[in-house]
Amino acid sequence: MSTTTPVPTRKPPTAQDEAPVFSVSGLWKVFGPKPERVPADPELGALDAAELRARTGCTAAVRDVSFDVRKGEVFVVMGLSGSGKSTLVRCLTRLIEPTAGTIAIDGEDVRAMDRTRLRELRRHRAAMVFQHFGLLPHRTVLDNVAYGLEIQGVGKAERRERAAEIVAKVGLEGMEHRRPGQLSGGQRQRVGLARALAVDPEVLLFDEPFSALDPLIRRDMQDEVARLHEEEGRTMVFITHDLSEALKLGDRIALMRDGQVVQLGTPEEIVGSPADDYVREFVRDVPREQVLTARTAMRPASLGESAEGPALTPDATVSEAIEAVARTGSPARVMDHGKCLGVVDHEQLLGVVAGVPVAPAAGPRATPEAV
Amino acid sequence: MATLTVPALRTRTPAVLRNRAVGKLLLLALITAVLLPLLHGRTWPHHLTVSLTQPLTSASNWIIDNRDTHPLFLYFFGYISNAVVLAVRAVYVALLALGWPGVTALGALVAWRVAGPRLAAGTAVAFLACGALGMWEPTMQTLALMVAAVLASVLVGTALGLAGGLSPRLDRALRPVLDTMQVLPAFAYLLPVVLVFGIGVPAAVLATVVYAAPPMARLTALGLRGADPEVLEAVESLGATRRQRLLTARIPLARKELLLGLNQTIMMALSMAVIASVIGAGGLGDRVYQALSTVDVGQALAAGIPIVLLAVVLDRVTGAAGADGAKGPRTIGWPYALAVTAAAALAARLLGVLDWPNGWSVQIAAPVNRAVDWMTGHLYSGVPVIGGTADWAAHFTTWVLDPIRDGLQWLPWWSLLLIVAALAWVIGTWRTALTAVLAMAAIGVLGVWEPSLDTLSQVLAAVAVTLVLGFATGIAAARSDRVERALRPVLDVFQTMPQFVYLIPVVALFGVGRAPAVAAAVVYALPAVIRITTQGLRQVDPAALESARSLGATGRQQLWQVQLPLARRALLLAVNQGVVLVLAVVIIGGLVGGGSLGYNVAFGLAQGDLATGLVAGAAIVCLGLMLDRVTQPTERRPGKGA
Ligand SMILES: Nc1ncnc2c1ncn2[C@@H]1O[C@H](COP(=O)(O)OP(=O)(O)OP(=O)(O)O)[C@@H](O)[C@H]1O
Ligand SMILES: [Mg+2]
Repeated sequence: MSTTTPVPTRKPPTAQDEAPVFSVSGLWKVFGPKPERVPADPELGALDAAELRARTGCTAAVRDVSFDVRKGEVFVVMGLSGSGKSTLVRCLTRLIEPTAGTIAIDGEDVRAMDRTRLRELRRHRAAMVFQHFGLLPHRTVLDNVAYGLEIQGVGKAERRERAAEIVAKVGLEGMEHRRPGQLSGGQRQRVGLARALAVDPEVLLFDEPFSALDPLIRRDMQDEVARLHEEEGRTMVFITHDLSEALKLGDRIALMRDGQVVQLGTPEEIVGSPADDYVREFVRDVPREQVLTARTAMRPASLGESAEGPALTPDATVSEAIEAVARTGSPARVMDHGKCLGVVDHEQLLGVVAGVPVAPAAGPRATPEAV
Repeated sequence: MATLTVPALRTRTPAVLRNRAVGKLLLLALITAVLLPLLHGRTWPHHLTVSLTQPLTSASNWIIDNRDTHPLFLYFFGYISNAVVLAVRAVYVALLALGWPGVTALGALVAWRVAGPRLAAGTAVAFLACGALGMWEPTMQTLALMVAAVLASVLVGTALGLAGGLSPRLDRALRPVLDTMQVLPAFAYLLPVVLVFGIGVPAAVLATVVYAAPPMARLTALGLRGADPEVLEAVESLGATRRQRLLTARIPLARKELLLGLNQTIMMALSMAVIASVIGAGGLGDRVYQALSTVDVGQALAAGIPIVLLAVVLDRVTGAAGADGAKGPRTIGWPYALAVTAAAALAARLLGVLDWPNGWSVQIAAPVNRAVDWMTGHLYSGVPVIGGTADWAAHFTTWVLDPIRDGLQWLPWWSLLLIVAALAWVIGTWRTALTAVLAMAAIGVLGVWEPSLDTLSQVLAAVAVTLVLGFATGIAAARSDRVERALRPVLDVFQTMPQFVYLIPVVALFGVGRAPAVAAAVVYALPAVIRITTQGLRQVDPAALESARSLGATGRQQLWQVQLPLARRALLLAVNQGVVLVLAVVIIGGLVGGGSLGYNVAFGLAQGDLATGLVAGAAIVCLGLMLDRVTQPTERRPGKGA
């Protein structure tokens, strides 16, 4: 709980002084003939997708992307279909070989790893959950979950025992001996999740894990992931094209378009101050009062205001603030550890709901991109 | 020839396509017009032939002379040959040691284990029937040869398939070869192996391996390539090594294709093991061959029935192993099965009934021959109004086969090349057209233009009959579930029978000659054509049919305007399959008086005149290649658009 954090977050802020788990900078992935020339040549790199394709026959799926994934956070990468999300996440463990840029995991250069090191990375440090599950149809649930351990050479009895624990943890008790074909989509993805968890990885990578599921099951699974994250605090990189999913799960969100990250920030920043029209259009239908917090909406308290009125935490959502203000009829105070940070009244709250750009609250609020 | 184009013309090709076809034809016409002054004569010009008899004879003589001395034979082919003989002998001795009770028990228990009790009973009955027909020993000979050949085919096929499945480059190199091997008649494989190994068991086994390994290779590669990429990616994301990925993911994921490959390999091996009787395979095929050469239908049938039983049992059991239902409760374990087998064999040994007891055999040859004699007397000719079967055969020969053959031989050779080019180009691509023309020209160069046209005439007649019957039946089956249900078991059995046994009933019915060969070919090719037609018509997009129906189309309109045009690909495939299958049997028909190329091969083998046989074999390959390419629909049309 560092008080120095300038970025407001809904959840307990993660320590930023700790080294990031993944550190990506200047990452490119270009598909096509002689892909290296595209990142190397600034002129080519500046072309848009259609021009690049016409000029070189290449597709730049990821262009010059940089970000850090901090320990313990859920880092969401969001974007429309074809924006390069899957490619990006596969580059992290080199399931797809990046064209240019650097990737480091815990400070270790991933691109410099030899085959053995890389295998070690995939076996122990980063495990992935796939959109269409990627389960082995000829194995039982238990053996699918134990598969990662089998690859590592763990003995049969031990791996089965560990797999059974994980199966119970994801709520699949009693189905250990079924085959994937006998499970529903949601259950299959639980198996996929369990398989990734079984190897006890440092980071979990999710590639649109729930988009093949129907809405109710999807919500269940999101809750499941949120619960796991709360219990274990495991670092997660989560790919999705669903904005509400991103807002629900993400500590920070990178919004991608045509291979580039157009904005990177907390859900609140993305919704509250979109970086450009594209992002604005993207978040237009989001119920802003449920994402933005009192901390963003507040204005400095004038004399006397800091003493009375209902109290809110800085992380209370605007809709909670509206409720408090409507009930009492007076401005509400935003209190943090007994200190009054500011107040919210009708004007601010209505401004948030109406989408009038919010004036920056107290304190600097820089997007990490701009840092 | 006209029959081949029917499906292509009937379809309502879009205007652009039709124009393209017209353009191709015009171009061909132009080329011919330019070349016309150079082309003359009817039959293939003599100065364009290359006589291979001399070099082939000397090569074959050299091989015969050096077979026992040259290091190549001593240290390479000799070892192969010895290994094959040893393997077949070992299996045969093992089968004899088990005795008929042991073999029957083993067969039934294996069937039980992989396919359930019903097929187990069927297997036992089939084995007992083989014994009861007095054919136990030849059945075991055929089985021993097959076991050795199937094992080798599976090894070779899987190795090639793994190579093709794992390396795209090898796949690109292998696939056309395997595809082509698949369309060649079995007879074409006989002579080259005989040339190297001489007539005998090694040659028979190796010919069988060459014939039966391609399906295993193709399906293995197909299965490995068809694996769900996301599963493979998931496996890789967990840090699997290449070996782990292959053993724990790719091969298990390809299980279905592997088992289907095994099934096809076994069926092809049986088919070839029987045909290879003409190069010394022995066993059941030899009995049929000997009986047919003396027109002893009774004996041929007594040996043919075990072949059919073996085929059906092997197909059902291996097919059931590949089906998904095989995951039901296992009734018996392997140790139990082996123990019972051993007990049965031991008991038989103690009781002294290892060999099938003589008294238990039923002699069906004599009664069958009496029946055939009666038929010859009463049905062959002179039956009032409808005539007799021999009359039909004679009429078919005079009114259909002779005119087609004479017509083909009357056509100038270059016009035949032109027709081949036009057909192949309109249906396929310029590549297929080029291959077809070159193959056809090669026949001329080999100097067997006339006999090849004779064979071709039989093929065309048989294909015409097959397509008329096949399309009619296929359409009926596609439009009525009842017809389809009634047909299915018949087709299932007919599709599993080896080519060779089709000769037995036609000889009984029509005697020997070209017409019986054509009849056997029709019966052999019909099931596949019916099946493909039915499936093609049934798979027509229901939405298209629905919309036609909503516009008030009658059943006939739906068929002609929607179903048939939309099923164009399937119909072309049916034509292609029909042609390939017909050719295979027309060639074998050389053994029952079909003459021409098939006869040349058989003659070459029988007389030790390998040169004649080899040239005929090469012509068969060319004919098969030409016929396949002429009827091969364009595979994909990527390239410019995509
Ligand atoms: N193997 C490949 N070869 C060529 N182009 C590719 C390849 N893989 C991806 N692309 C291209 O890269 C771009 C990004 O693809 P990617 O799969 O990363 O998108 P995505 O954001 O995951 O989309 P979706 O939401 O549909 O999964 C697309 O334009 C795609 O066509
Ligand atoms: Mg994707």
